[in-house]
Amino acid sequence: MFETLKEMLVSKLKVAPEQVTPEATREDVELDSLAVVELSLLLEKELGLQISDDELLEAATMGDMADLMVERSASA
Amino acid sequence: MTSGADVAVTGLGLVTPAGCGTAASWAGVLDGRPTAALDPELKGNPVQLSCRVPGFDADVLLGARRALRLDPFTRFALVAAREAIADSGLDPAEWDGARVGVVLGCADGGPGTVEAQHRTLLDEGAHRVSPLLLPMQLPNMMAGQTAIEFGATGPNLVVATACASGATAIGVARDLLLLDRCDVVLAGGAEAMITPLVMAGFARMGALSGREDDPATASRPFDAGRDGFVAAEGGAVLVLERTADARARSARIRGRVVGYGAGADAHHMTSPHPEGAGSEAAVRAALADAGAGPGDVGHVNAHGTSTPLNDLAEGRMLARVLPHGPVVTSTKGVTGHMLGAAGAVEAALTVLALETGVVPPTAGLSTLDPGLDIEVATAPASCPDGVALSNSFGFGGQNAVLALARA
Repeated sequence: MFETLKEMLVSKLKVAPEQVTPEATREDVELDSLAVVELSLLLEKELGLQISDDELLEAATMGDMADLMVERSASA
Repeated sequence: MTSGADVAVTGLGLVTPAGCGTAASWAGVLDGRPTAALDPELKGNPVQLSCRVPGFDADVLLGARRALRLDPFTRFALVAAREAIADSGLDPAEWDGARVGVVLGCADGGPGTVEAQHRTLLDEGAHRVSPLLLPMQLPNMMAGQTAIEFGATGPNLVVATACASGATAIGVARDLLLLDRCDVVLAGGAEAMITPLVMAGFARMGALSGREDDPATASRPFDAGRDGFVAAEGGAVLVLERTADARARSARIRGRVVGYGAGADAHHMTSPHPEGAGSEAAVRAALADAGAGPGDVGHVNAHGTSTPLNDLAEGRMLARVLPHGPVVTSTKGVTGHMLGAAGAVEAALTVLALETGVVPPTAGLSTLDPGLDIEVATAPASCPDGVALSNSFGFGGQNAVLALARA
């Protein structure tokens, strides 16, 4: 799932691929609150995953975000 | 005209249909190459002509991540500002940002962003609307983004006087400098309004040239056969400083803004006053501000949109106020009408005409309207000494006239 998240960040939000590691924080990837809303929208639109921007903001790292995606897709 | 109370232009940045960059824009305008062409993005519109900026790759110029969050009008402003700052020799890493202002003008902000998101709203629902809708489309965002990009934390605003916006911005910037509110102002305008909805609106007003069978002569300012303007996109930024400050730092002074006149027709929401009463008042105010008289004017970069009403009213006004016949040009024959950016682009082109001594031609003009008694350049002409005027008039009746002079 991390690779899916990474692909989304790189292709849709134009984040540099080398910035996106499982340990990277939102600040490392320069995802401000607007970008997190965009990401939430993309996850819903592209993957059918309902994860609010508030939930994404609580994930400390990109790895945690990917875990949240795994969890949500399992419960979907 | 060597007053310490005037303002120097120490940097120029241009992004126009004639070229991306000042050198390319000036070369295209001097060559008199019209840029109007059929626009595939306007397929299905009643009028499909536009003038686009060639070779503007925002991903390359600004970086894909940055460009993704910027409406095209802001992209044009940032690229023009970067060129202008480099030209000025000022270094944003060194300047006192609190003393650097940004005053830009546009007519409409980011209508392309609004239209795309409105389509999302209708097709997919409100929950799919981008959180970047407002940060991208708000008109003031280009000044805010310019501040972020260059660390300019002084007065920061966007003015809206429709097609006079770019000239109004330069006038307001000059006021800020003369009031000592700033030491440097990045002044200008940018516009990206060539969208299906906006262009349908212009077409419904009857404002656009319908000469799609011969795009090269669609924009023909002051011509007897003119039938409307061709909408264009682009931007310009001028670095302005008090002339005394510019001289003190041995800056290259490219020209000076010596006067500004502004006012309103108070006549009709779109039609100019038929006798040009408001535009005449603005010209006279700009000259008075410059301490000059009508006879001092050697060159006029006219508003000259190629609409029947503007060019008649403006041409008659020029003949009446400046009967000695200064060299008039309308660079919109080449560039089309950049709307809220036009006044800033044309102020920059007027500075270049004064600096190089060459007035660019009015492309598209073959037969001067027989109702007009003015000297319009149809080939590159010598730029006389003295003051040059750059006229800009907006829907809504706003008039802004800049008086410019050589360094």
